Amino acid sequence: MNNIDILKERLENAGASVILLTENQLQSCLETHFPSILNFTDTVTCEEYRKASLEKMEKIDTALFAGRFAVAENGAIWLEDEDLPQRVLPFITQKLVLQIHVSKVVDTMQEAYQQISLQNTGFGVFISGPSKTADIEQSLVYGAHGARELTVIMLS
Amino acid sequence: MSEHAKKAKLFLADESRSRWHDETLWMVRQKRDHVAGMVPEWEDLRQQASDIKTDVLEHLPKYLQQFEEKATHHGVIVLHAKDANEFNQLILSIIEKHEAKNIVKSKSMLTEECGLNRFLHTRGIEVTDTDLGERIIQFRGEAPSHIVLPAIHLKKEEIGETFHEKLGTEAGASDPTYLTRAARLHLRQKFLSADLAITGVNFAIAETGTVVVCTNEGNADMGVHCAPIQVHCMGIEKIIPRQTDLGIFTRLLARSATGQHVTTYTSHYGKAKPGGTMYVVIADNGRTPQLAEPKYRQALKCLRCGACMNTCPVFRRSGGHSYGYTIPGPIGSILAPRRDEKKWSDLPIASSLCGSCSNVCPAKVNIHEQLYAWRQDLMQHKKTSWLKRVTMKITGIVLANNGLYNLLGFAARKALKYLPHSWVYMPLNAWGRGRELPLPPKQSFKQWYKQNRKK
Ligand code: SF4
Repeated sequence: MNNIDILKERLENAGASVILLTENQLQSCLETHFPSILNFTDTVTCEEYRKASLEKMEKIDTALFAGRFAVAENGAIWLEDEDLPQRVLPFITQKLVLQIHVSKVVDTMQEAYQQISLQNTGFGVFISGPSKTADIEQSLVYGAHGARELTVIMLS
Repeated sequence: MSEHAKKAKLFLADESRSRWHDETLWMVRQKRDHVAGMVPEWEDLRQQASDIKTDVLEHLPKYLQQFEEKATHHGVIVLHAKDANEFNQLILSIIEKHEAKNIVKSKSMLTEECGLNRFLHTRGIEVTDTDLGERIIQFRGEAPSHIVLPAIHLKKEEIGETFHEKLGTEAGASDPTYLTRAARLHLRQKFLSADLAITGVNFAIAETGTVVVCTNEGNADMGVHCAPIQVHCMGIEKIIPRQTDLGIFTRLLARSATGQHVTTYTSHYGKAKPGGTMYVVIADNGRTPQLAEPKYRQALKCLRCGACMNTCPVFRRSGGHSYGYTIPGPIGSILAPRRDEKKWSDLPIASSLCGSCSNVCPAKVNIHEQLYAWRQDLMQHKKTSWLKRVTMKITGIVLANNGLYNLLGFAARKALKYLPHSWVYMPLNAWGRGRELPLPPKQSFKQWYKQNRKK
């Protein structure tokens, strides 16, 4: 298995859906599958939400962010302050979509931490699936407090 | 009977519950084995984690200072507490300073250890625990029974009842998805109105002044990013030197804890959000004295993953509440006596010394060796029960004397054959409660060996 296959498998295991696309298919895919999506790779949307209230953000159905890179061994995708008009957004949205370029996949967390500079980052997060809990009798339930669903779009 | 044994007996009285507990934790252990097996360098990673933590414990002041300098440079307010009381007072002063009314908290064993919730409650301040398991036990007024799975001692019907009473869910409803949804709605309201968020800390990086928190639910992030004030609480041993060390620890933690490759969220907090304030409160609370004891120092390498609990045959069959101490299970049993030798003298005995805990521990804490060392120390310091001390003394004399050993072995073989059952299983024979001895052999091993070696 190459690291893209491993990444896909690990993400799906963690409850995420994975879509493989070429860059020019992206727009039409978003329009068909996520008509109400808020696209935070777009500067206008980012500006609109930079000062938005929690009440406004709580109403977001689906939000799209561009991940910086992904880790094959565990499906973790890295986001940091610069990618987020407000830190709470990828958590408060009901559904989360992360896009990532297939050239931006590293094998392990050890490689991942070579890519980051925490020194210069106010906040950064690895997200590897939808929010989940198993606190009631170890039954797995998605959608504890963060996003209830995660879709990862892998672009080539 | 020891305190632990008494409480274990209560737990075991509900047979189906205790069997479920045992099997469920064993399943978590198996999941851990499965994912650890997928990492070829797993054993190397454990060794590296152990080496890093050993280095940290040897140079703790240096790393703490480095952390504080970096964090302060990033505008983070770093505070120190020498014990539980000082820690609680500090948190209270932060709350008062910012006039915070709505406080949310994600999982932190340190606040549990210091009794923060109780302390604030007596001063009229309510803290909402936001981890689902912790919210459940908070509603019920119970303590966590496991450090990673705080409500593992409860059945869904009980949780359903609690939620019916506290959140108005339907009477009799116990479906985990339904109950989780209800908690989500209830806690979202708490997050949206939060003005101060408290979290624990999994790792603090000296090199960058960053704290790292790992959750599956996303509750730490919801709290920290919704509330203007964020307060991260850690024991001094949570420091690791470099950012790259996280590569090792994040590969070990979730795999060891729940059998996931990584937690859903691994969050790195370095600076406050625009307009917000970030605090890191670092507590000693008995850790420095422990550092000074080479025999027990290694316990401070613990990552709080819970793997030693899931694998422990005693924990699985006695339940976390039977230990009584904040951190139950094997690791708790070597931490507790450090706090109070007399009070927790029964915990190092609540183990089969099988060593499984040390084998699964991602930081290679020598748990079973420390359990054994504690038994010796507690015996010497006369903290164990009188009966145990006398029996051990007599056993020691017998085992050290060849003739006496042979004689008593002979006597025991005869006695077991002829004595009535009620004599052998008299109340003093604690071992005999719930257990039957095998039929005594005709000859001792020594005799058998002599006979057969000649041939
Ligand atoms: S002692 Fe080891 S196995 Fe037990 S909780 Fe700590 S890190 Fe995990």
